[in-house]
Amino acid sequence: MEEKLRRIYVPMTESGFYILFCLQTPNHGYGISQAVKQMTGGSVNISAGTMYGTLSKMETDGLIKFFSEEDKRKLYVITGLGREILDLEIKRIERLYKNSKGENINE
Amino acid sequence: MSKTFTRYFTIADFEEEEKWLRDQHKNGWKLVKMVTPCFYTFEQCEPEDVIYRLDYRNTENKDEYFKMLRDFGWEYVGECVGWFYFRKPAAEIESEEDGELLSDNESRAEQVGLILRTRLAPLALIFLCCVMPNFLKVLDGEYIGTWGKIYSLFFSLMFAVYVYLIAHCGLKLKQIKKRYDI
Repeated sequence: MEEKLRRIYVPMTESGFYILFCLQTPNHGYGISQAVKQMTGGSVNISAGTMYGTLSKMETDGLIKFFSEEDKRKLYVITGLGREILDLEIKRIERLYKNSKGENINE
Repeated sequence: MSKTFTRYFTIADFEEEEKWLRDQHKNGWKLVKMVTPCFYTFEQCEPEDVIYRLDYRNTENKDEYFKMLRDFGWEYVGECVGWFYFRKPAAEIESEEDGELLSDNESRAEQVGLILRTRLAPLALIFLCCVMPNFLKVLDGEYIGTWGKIYSLFFSLMFAVYVYLIAHCGLKLKQIKKRYDI
């Protein structure tokens, strides 16, 4: 993986994380925002422009790709590279979580 | 019935412009189109509280962009030199983010950065390469005769306008950056 992408995306913004996480299943912008709203109990709301901008950027960087078109809406899905970055980010969040509970990481 | 208003907003006054358009709609005038630099055409409508938002964006895929914004409840009103105008009735807004186009600091920083790079920087470049050298010639008294006077007046005026615009926009964008801590 390119070092540059790693620097940009790890750590990730909260919106970025939820968008990439949701794209493990193909979805379009509005669908992602609804899914995020539901899974966070309404704590994370992603606005339209932020959603559009993040999707465009992630597609350009190769983290996600075009999946199909449904009713003129573009559906995206995570790529292998996106998966690698998501795994790194999840590992980082798990470390944060464990440390916040007072646990140490022994690797 | 429709009317055309003349009002000038700089590239850094988009928040004031949004508020002004909302006030117009509350008074029963909805925006129909904008013609650069400062002409707004309104159409009479039922007075309603409608939120207006301006998005500055460089997008190649407008169809997808408009479709997505539409899904989020934003009606596309028009485009004016890189700015996209959207509106949504205040009654339909469910959360703070639902009433905004940008919900995190990264996207806000990106937008301000894009305005700086694509709008303010060219202005500064024209100022430095064209307005400033000519204004210095005016100060040196190089323009003489009737045409010289006209040139002198023109470049002095341009100098004042550019200094005002660059200072105003620079400060305003800096304030916005500070407010969001970006």
